[in-house]
Amino acid sequence: MTSSDAPVLPVADGGRAAVGDTAVTLEGVRKRYGDVLAVDDVSLDVRAGEFLTLLGPSGCGKTTTLRLIGGFEQPDRGAIRIDARDVAGEPPYRRPVNTVFQQYALFPHLDVRRNIGYGLRHAGVDGREIARRVSDIMELMQIPEVGDRRPRQLSGGQQQRVALARALVMEPRVLLLDEPLGSLDYKLRKDMQFELKRIHREVGVTFIYVTHDQEEAMTMSDRIVVMNRGRIEQQGGPEEIFDRPRTAFVADFIGDTNVVDGVVTSVEGDHATVDLGALGTVGGSLATSLGVGDTAQVSIRPNDVRVEVDAAAAAIVEETVLVGGHVAMKIACGETSVTANVPRGKGLEPGTAVRLDVDSERIRIFARERA
Amino acid sequence: MAPAAPIDVLERPRGRRAGRGGWLLGIPVVGWMTLLFAVPYLLLFLQSFWRAGAFGTVTDWNLDNYRAVFLGDSFAGNIYLPTLLKSLKIGALVTLCSTVLAFPVAYLLAFKVRVSRLRMLIYTMVIVPLWASYLLRAYAWKVILGQDGLLGSVLDRVGLGGTFLNDLLYSEAAVIIAMTHIFTPFMILTIYAVLERLPGSLIEASKDLGVGRLKTFRSVVLPLAAPGIVAGGTFTMGLSSGDFVAPMLVGGKDDVMVANQIYSQFGATNNWPLGSALAFVLLGIVLILVAVSTSAEKRERI
Repeated sequence: MTSSDAPVLPVADGGRAAVGDTAVTLEGVRKRYGDVLAVDDVSLDVRAGEFLTLLGPSGCGKTTTLRLIGGFEQPDRGAIRIDARDVAGEPPYRRPVNTVFQQYALFPHLDVRRNIGYGLRHAGVDGREIARRVSDIMELMQIPEVGDRRPRQLSGGQQQRVALARALVMEPRVLLLDEPLGSLDYKLRKDMQFELKRIHREVGVTFIYVTHDQEEAMTMSDRIVVMNRGRIEQQGGPEEIFDRPRTAFVADFIGDTNVVDGVVTSVEGDHATVDLGALGTVGGSLATSLGVGDTAQVSIRPNDVRVEVDAAAAAIVEETVLVGGHVAMKIACGETSVTANVPRGKGLEPGTAVRLDVDSERIRIFARERA
Repeated sequence: MAPAAPIDVLERPRGRRAGRGGWLLGIPVVGWMTLLFAVPYLLLFLQSFWRAGAFGTVTDWNLDNYRAVFLGDSFAGNIYLPTLLKSLKIGALVTLCSTVLAFPVAYLLAFKVRVSRLRMLIYTMVIVPLWASYLLRAYAWKVILGQDGLLGSVLDRVGLGGTFLNDLLYSEAAVIIAMTHIFTPFMILTIYAVLERLPGSLIEASKDLGVGRLKTFRSVVLPLAAPGIVAGGTFTMGLSSGDFVAPMLVGGKDDVMVANQIYSQFGATNNWPLGSALAFVLLGIVLILVAVSTSAEKRERI
């Protein structure tokens, strides 16, 4: 298995060695819509049985990537292999993958059983066999009682389960999920996250999951692929992505963070110090190699900022707001401002002068991003 | 937190905004409709049970007019029922032809034309003929189908001119062609209206589940477009079987339809009671048609 940190190597021609190990391979895949480069030179290996999440803001190319794998779009360049088989030009109905669509796309004119059995029926599977498999999958989805209803008579969560059942009953090699929880309310979304995880464990199918919600990605994924502007920014396990982001974009997108511009003043191995102007100089670990004098961006998580009242300090509390379980304070220091999270009851009055302190091991330093 | 309710676009919000005097607002409309719609219909209905005298209608209650419609009378013979059936046949053919012509156009508009300007252009081209008078459009077919008409002279040029065209104008075929032309735009609009609301993701979902293009069309697009086809078909069938302009202009002397017979009972023949009976039989058939198609549509909705 390739280490998730190493660059993904293209599979050798024929790709036989990858059978059983790699479910989907993208190799230098590119897709352009008019002037927009939706997917720009994406290479990716998806391991069999893995729960992989494509994470990024809207327009980052994650959905397009999913649609390329599903066969709804054809790449302009690059190769897509499913089970080591090149699927270039193959329409969706020939690919061993199934999709759970964003708005479920259940057939309104068919009842739940017929929706789920739709693919099997057209594949010419025997009627009794269809009935058995449909019942089994409805059991697995914990919706055994809704078989005779039409989609519009179901709740959002039930529709979600029917959509999953309809795709999984086809026993695909890979299940593609396009923001499937997007239209559910918060509580249901939380429940479904655990539910999806359970289903993934039980069926053992490869899941490729698209979302813009970093929390969703963190909860469910074995591996997260962060995308931005059609490119892969970073891939790795949830903890790795959170603790060791490789770019300021990733740091900013995964969890809250303060991104502050500065100039590198010293480098020692993978440790460096950066002058942040009014905020002073901080030390931290380098995400990419930088030299003294290079412009850099520093990521400081609001949870890592310690705030102490100090009448002589230059930083001033600008605003204090209650955010659920903690208090967020916006603190201005010269031109820049930083957010710090403190426990409830520890919030300070706006106007208070404070001193800021951060552990250098919690700080990440990145090359300045192209604007 | 409220559980996510299934989205039902068909459900209308039920508000009770009208105060107590709200029904007063309905008086003008109800009055207007009663005076100019219900009353004449009632008079016509009553008249259909009366008798035509030498100098006008005689209030002499009987069922002879309806008997004449279905079994014929001594004066004209059994001409009414066959004409009625022929009108329905022509109506059905017009409906079939315009559906077959309209569906591909509506489908293209809804799914294939991605450039919105081009879609607008095609849409406008469909609508523009509706702004021209019906009479004008029916007349246009005289110019096209006539012996020295547009079609004939073009075919002559390319050496395909022949006798078959001589019989085209003033025939049942001409009536069907003219009416198909007139009703196709309505068909396109009603079918487009349902296809436009059909989410493309349903087609993608079908393909995703391993179903090819043709089968997807048959098992997803067609059933979901059915309400539009039924609505447009009912409209076309109802109006075309009761049409009298097209048969008058481009039909031959034998291509009289039921509406022409009604027209002549109220005109030259001067037998209003028989005309009324004919009109009510036609109305009854159309109402049955509408009822059947509405219930079919309702069943489809559930």
